[in-house]
Amino acid sequence: MDRHALHQPSSSSSSSIPATANTVWTDASPLLEVACKDLRDGELIHVDNFNLYAAMSALEIMDPKMDSGIVNRYCSVDEAIEDGVAPVPISTDKTTDVQCMIDIMDHLLTCEATWHKGHSLAQTVFSCAYLLRPERTSSHALLHSYCKVIRATCKAVITVVSDARTHEEEDLFTMAYGLPLTPSSKRKPLEDIEPLQTNFDLEEGYCKALLCRLRFRKHFFHVLTCMRRPQGRGLELARKHIASCISELGVILKSAEFLMSNAHGTCEDATEDRTTASGHQAIGFDASLNSRISAPTPPRSIKILSWKKAIEYFEKLLHDLDIMCSYPLDPSLEVLLRFVAQFQKAQPDLVARAHLQLLLVQDGKLYGKCPMFSLIIRAARLPEVFLHHDIQKNEYVVQLGQLVINMLKILCTNAAWQRRKLGKILQDWRVIYVQIELAFRKDFGEGSSISNGDNASARILKHILIWVDEQTYWISHRFLILGFELELYSPSEYCMVYWYLYVVLIRLAEKTHLKMTVSDGSGKYTSTSCMFSFQGQRPELRSKNVCVV
Amino acid sequence: MEQVQEKQRTEEFDASEIEYVSYGGEHHLPLIMNLVDQELSEPYSIFTYRYFVYLWPQLSFIAFHKGKCVGTVVCKMGDHRDSKFRGYIAMLVVIKPYRGRGIATELVTRSIQVMMESGCKEVTLEAEVTNEGALALYGRLGFIRAKRLFRYYLNGVDAFRLKLLFPQPEELHPFLPTMADRDDTQNHDDHSPREEYSELHRHL
Repeated sequence: MDRHALHQPSSSSSSSIPATANTVWTDASPLLEVACKDLRDGELIHVDNFNLYAAMSALEIMDPKMDSGIVNRYCSVDEAIEDGVAPVPISTDKTTDVQCMIDIMDHLLTCEATWHKGHSLAQTVFSCAYLLRPERTSSHALLHSYCKVIRATCKAVITVVSDARTHEEEDLFTMAYGLPLTPSSKRKPLEDIEPLQTNFDLEEGYCKALLCRLRFRKHFFHVLTCMRRPQGRGLELARKHIASCISELGVILKSAEFLMSNAHGTCEDATEDRTTASGHQAIGFDASLNSRISAPTPPRSIKILSWKKAIEYFEKLLHDLDIMCSYPLDPSLEVLLRFVAQFQKAQPDLVARAHLQLLLVQDGKLYGKCPMFSLIIRAARLPEVFLHHDIQKNEYVVQLGQLVINMLKILCTNAAWQRRKLGKILQDWRVIYVQIELAFRKDFGEGSSISNGDNASARILKHILIWVDEQTYWISHRFLILGFELELYSPSEYCMVYWYLYVVLIRLAEKTHLKMTVSDGSGKYTSTSCMFSFQGQRPELRSKNVCVV
Repeated sequence: MEQVQEKQRTEEFDASEIEYVSYGGEHHLPLIMNLVDQELSEPYSIFTYRYFVYLWPQLSFIAFHKGKCVGTVVCKMGDHRDSKFRGYIAMLVVIKPYRGRGIATELVTRSIQVMMESGCKEVTLEAEVTNEGALALYGRLGFIRAKRLFRYYLNGVDAFRLKLLFPQPEELHPFLPTMADRDDTQNHDDHSPREEYSELHRHL
């Protein structure tokens, strides 16, 4: 290309992109034309490793289905702001300003719920131009502080989810490159108290509507910070904030009547799809603002949750978090596993599950306080005197502890991924069993009866072996049962699955029984009660069509 | 990838009037592309189509009715983990007026036949959990649901990984697949890297 061409005024009709210190734009159309004429039908210029992945990620430039850059109304956020997309103040009329403020709060709530449900942050919460340019809102106290708390909340949630990171479900959720999440340090002094808006009759209604929304935000942020406190210390306080959140959500719902009847302008959307209480479209949002940072994914329009559905989502999230907070952090693995299995039945979403995982596993310990070895000793029904035995340093025992941690993390993931992973770790549990058994045989010979108090290591290993066996069957059982929830089995396969379940459950009961009889007999649970708890699972199987073998 | 199979208003025709043709070259490509583009919302670049039909032309078939292209199946096959030679059904489309008459089944069957003859041990594909038509079609052919993929599609819908295991002559019990066969060690992230391209999972 002729260098001189770069200094001539652009002859193309495309919008000029100003050159910066590092980039200069030039028109490549002539080059592409020559290349096209030269290529034959079906001929493709590519390197040898041009595989399916490369083909899939290739874009056809200027195809609106693939090219994120082509669909924008605006080239940048600043251009949108210049065009008046996000005015500050929102309106010169104070009443309208308040109404719009509430609409923005509502719409942000729906965006947040949509994000939680698995869409990109950039296209949901950060489709708000006010959030993208934090410094612009400093003259509007309400808008400014609300944006601050939204950013802080998003940051807290992203931290939880990425700390819990186990697999790709979290990847899309935590993508926040280029988005302004860190709070600015400036603090504005409190302003004089003045009425929200000018219409005296409406003042109380708007104050109430605003107050419940602000309170919800405050309590929700406190829930997040309380739950992050290590070793579950903040759970009780979190429950109080959760209760406040739920109560404020109720008030928010009730405010809809007032807001709808006093909405400014004539166009109202009273349908179930509306994203604000008033039915008005919130000002300042454009989902395509961040399409440049959302590339290389193809442009996609997201359906934002409705306002009602968003509130339902938060109610469920808070309910799930509350269940977590009221869990007494039992040091018994058996109780914990039952709790997690029960908790998962409600199909909690990612944010709730990430919190659960972080509650259970912190710093390689259960609830951040119980070492894995103590968990294993209790699970194997060994007396507490062994809690400090040296065998905890044994490489296989340490590895076993890692397997337990891994298993607990897996149990907190979504059912589909959970099942796949559980199927894979069965191998690991079998291997560790064999390794410990070999070590046991090597050190203590083939004798199966070990007298109490004689050789503590032998006794510990023997108990652990039985427990590992039992736990392996538990994992197998969960693997099989999850297949029903995930609808993997067709009715013609039920027989086969029931047969596997039957075998696994019999073995599981045998191992549990063996564990009880080998131990001191000080266990709280009898083998019969265990049998009944397994049989309790059966009714859900009986409800499907069974072909009797 | 995507499978489209809902029943709506039908076109009158006799099954014998449908002509099934193996992919014959560049002249077939725009037919396939138009068919898939009009029925599916996901954008597939021309590179994607070419990848399949150039490397495995023998696995793609087109259905014609009186010279009009009414359906297509696009597939690939190759070595997979544990050296399992495996077939993959990438796209299956039949235009709405021609659905419910067995054209899709015929297209898929022909492709699977070639896969079997080429030495594949199994065939897989993904289908939306809500796509009852596709699930029924493949179910009838003996596919099982090996895995569920959470929020596989961009609209948030889960997918089933469907798998058809070919009976192997050297196995002692060909009629009792083990649970391990159903849920093998394959991750769907070996089709495309996870991190920034999770959205592309939809296509694979």
